[in-house]
Amino acid sequence: MSDDIILDIQNVTKQFPGVTALSDVSIQIRRGEIHCLCGENGAGKSTLIKILSGVYPWGSYEGHILYEGKELKLGDRSIRQAIEEGIAVVYQELTLVPDMTVGENIYLGKEPVEYGSINWDKLYADTQQILTKYNLDIQPQAIVKNLGVGKMQMTEIAKALSENAQVLILDEPTSALTEAEIEKLMEILRTLKEHGVTCIYISHKVEEFFRIADSITVLRDGKVVTTQPAQALNLEKLVSYMVGREMKERFPKGNRKPGQVIFEVLDLHAQDPVQSDREVLKGVSFNLRKGEILGIAGLMGSGRTELVMTLFGEYAKITQGKVKLDKRELQPHSSREAMQEGLSLVPEDRKRHGLVLIQSVLKNISLPNLDQFASWLRIDNNAELNASMQFAKSLAIKAPNLHVLCDSLSGGNQQKVVISKWLMSKPKVLIMDDPTRGIDVGAKYEIYKLMNDLTEQGISIIMISSELEEVLGMSDRVMVMHEGKSTSTLDIADATQEKIMALATGIA
Amino acid sequence: MSAISTTSTTSAVADIVKQFRANLRTYGLIIATIVIWVFFFAVTDGGYLGPQNFSNLFRQMSVTAILSVGMVLIIVTGNIDLSVGNFAGFISVVVAKLQNDVWRIVLPDQPLLAAVLSVLIGLAVGVLFGMLQASIIAYLRVPAFIVTLGGMWVFKGLLLIVTEGKTIAANQPYFSAIGQGYLPPLAGWIVAAGVVVLLFYNMFRSRQKKRQYGFELGSLYTDLLKTVLFAGLLVAYVFFVNRYNGIQVPVLLLAVVAVVVSYVSDNTRFGRYAYAIGGNREAARLSGVNINRNIFTIFVLMGFLCGISGIVLASYVGYGTIAAGNGYELVAIAACFLGGASPAGGVGTIFGAMIGALIMASLTNGLQIMNVPAAWQYVVQGIILVLAVLGDVYLKKK
Repeated sequence: MSDDIILDIQNVTKQFPGVTALSDVSIQIRRGEIHCLCGENGAGKSTLIKILSGVYPWGSYEGHILYEGKELKLGDRSIRQAIEEGIAVVYQELTLVPDMTVGENIYLGKEPVEYGSINWDKLYADTQQILTKYNLDIQPQAIVKNLGVGKMQMTEIAKALSENAQVLILDEPTSALTEAEIEKLMEILRTLKEHGVTCIYISHKVEEFFRIADSITVLRDGKVVTTQPAQALNLEKLVSYMVGREMKERFPKGNRKPGQVIFEVLDLHAQDPVQSDREVLKGVSFNLRKGEILGIAGLMGSGRTELVMTLFGEYAKITQGKVKLDKRELQPHSSREAMQEGLSLVPEDRKRHGLVLIQSVLKNISLPNLDQFASWLRIDNNAELNASMQFAKSLAIKAPNLHVLCDSLSGGNQQKVVISKWLMSKPKVLIMDDPTRGIDVGAKYEIYKLMNDLTEQGISIIMISSELEEVLGMSDRVMVMHEGKSTSTLDIADATQEKIMALATGIA
Repeated sequence: MSAISTTSTTSAVADIVKQFRANLRTYGLIIATIVIWVFFFAVTDGGYLGPQNFSNLFRQMSVTAILSVGMVLIIVTGNIDLSVGNFAGFISVVVAKLQNDVWRIVLPDQPLLAAVLSVLIGLAVGVLFGMLQASIIAYLRVPAFIVTLGGMWVFKGLLLIVTEGKTIAANQPYFSAIGQGYLPPLAGWIVAAGVVVLLFYNMFRSRQKKRQYGFELGSLYTDLLKTVLFAGLLVAYVFFVNRYNGIQVPVLLLAVVAVVVSYVSDNTRFGRYAYAIGGNREAARLSGVNINRNIFTIFVLMGFLCGISGIVLASYVGYGTIAAGNGYELVAIAACFLGGASPAGGVGTIFGAMIGALIMASLTNGLQIMNVPAAWQYVVQGIILVLAVLGDVYLKKK
């Protein structure tokens, strides 16, 4: 590792309508180092990656990026250009073709061709060369979908290296890996370092940094908090850099008095619907009182979404444990059954799971609730419109009328449509998975107020959130998940960001 | 800052423009139909829109249009049914066989009873085989493309087995009325009058109900205009066909089927769920929609409609033939896409499919009258289909 700076990010600012994603960010990455980047959701990490990899081309941001001393100007074919320059990204969602072999994937789009047909021998020979050079333990002819996630990731890395990547950016590389696979990855990164490849390693699992990092940068709210050599930091200091900001008036004060326990989950175990030998939930226990907001915190991959989808009857198979609502044992096998019992779920991905985007706001709000205005013969359109309008009004959905299509609404309004639809089914327990993700500050506040109102009306809320501030600002109690298990439930008075992070990262 | 307006009436012109823009596709199709008719009218010196040909035009399209009615819902849910042509053909020969070989022995001299039994059995065959395909698709999760592809061949084989390679006569009294009968002109006018009254009643009732809730009412003039236009078209149609024997029974059947299924898809939960499944299957599932049951029902409905289509086919042709229904599935599917259905699912109307079927039938009919060789008719049909959808894709991009 030298003092030679390969990537010099200078005063980069990136704005979107209503939101500043990066603000005057300056980071210096040294050649050959492993530079770790961390920060909460919305801190600006993905925006930075997108700028470096060419998704946001030169001109769409302010500031300068010097690569190998020259300014990086990614223009038209920006993503391809970035790769040609030597900057490659290994994304969390792998971009491999599952039915093709490792070699085919690595050389996809740049297969060696001889007289018009692919030279398979050369392709596989070249593949083996790369694999050997960087100590990647995979067979070039193996079909990707038969490999485990760890080896798939190795294939992605090999793909980047086959383009002679000088800077390899890894986005949340370990969230789906087992411990053994993580160790292998670390070794690979060390090997890359020996070959002079620079790595930028972005992760939520900050405890991993200390196994390989040379330097660590912390981002918060689009700004750089600090950049320091890894030796100068430890986990506690790092966590405090990541969080430590004052809780301003971002969270409206609620007026609720939680009552008796109405919902209980006792030692829940569930297995993966696809890989039946994998346990997704390894013992989750918690309870929910009437009219309270229970926050569920935890890192990505800790099983929070899997938990609530399973409670809603739409994900994993429950192998052990009990779920009780109002003292009645529940075994929901479908969302319909869960709904009838009084559960509602506002899903994490509103576009994929929450809305039929090509349909109107009206039809989306009423979809799970049509039984309220319909006989088997017909739907009473007027009653449907009337009821939906009431929810639209009380949630202040901004749209000229209810017949506009959902894909023309802003993220915040789309989320309100999803919430409306589930409120209309009059739930006893409302589960909200990252309810304010991707929503601007103003709309967030409206949703928080709404949550307060709902609890005062007697609805109990389970709120999953990746933003610690949100968890602390809105919850009455906080349950933290870690690797498929629930840890202790903290009372809000005892909960601090450090405590939650400690439970989430498993050091507590 | 009021987000949603509830009470305001808009000017007639603005309303018309707004509705036109929103339904550009549908109005475009209607205009295309009129253009085609005018074209052929000019080229054939009026023969094209003469009473007999005009009447035949609608009858020619009814067999495949009935199939299109069911196909719309199937396409809306993101599936396809390739078996409908041979399915309808199979049912047509089953019914023909009953009429010609079975009832003659079992129920001699009872043509009415025979016809009724044939119809009931034909429909039952449609529903039963429909349930078979439906359960494999909905519950065993085999892709519809594959199941109905297999079904297509199975029906073809069964058809040949039933006919033993021969043509079977199916033109007995009462039975032949289904495909070849006419509603006497007076009855036609009564039906038309009834429908017109219903249209106006509906219009006023729905305005009244909206007013009760305090909703925004479209301009009275546009609503009146639309209703008058529809009523006018209907009256014109009845007038034309009454000059040649009256409304044809198969057309009446088609109209009833189209109206009923259209109503179901617009106004019932079942219809709503179908569009939701096609629009975003995952979101529909997570919203409590029973996807399997919905898809099962849609394919059973298709089977029932194949039954109707097959019965009409046998009666109309007067025979059960070994090539019955051959290729009808493609005509039915093309009509749906022409009418605005999307291969991705979630979009498509029965009304659009009917116009699509009418356009295709008008083209075929016109080219026949002009003595254009059959080969070129196929070429023209194919080109029109692609051009129409291309136009749609282009318009959507803007």
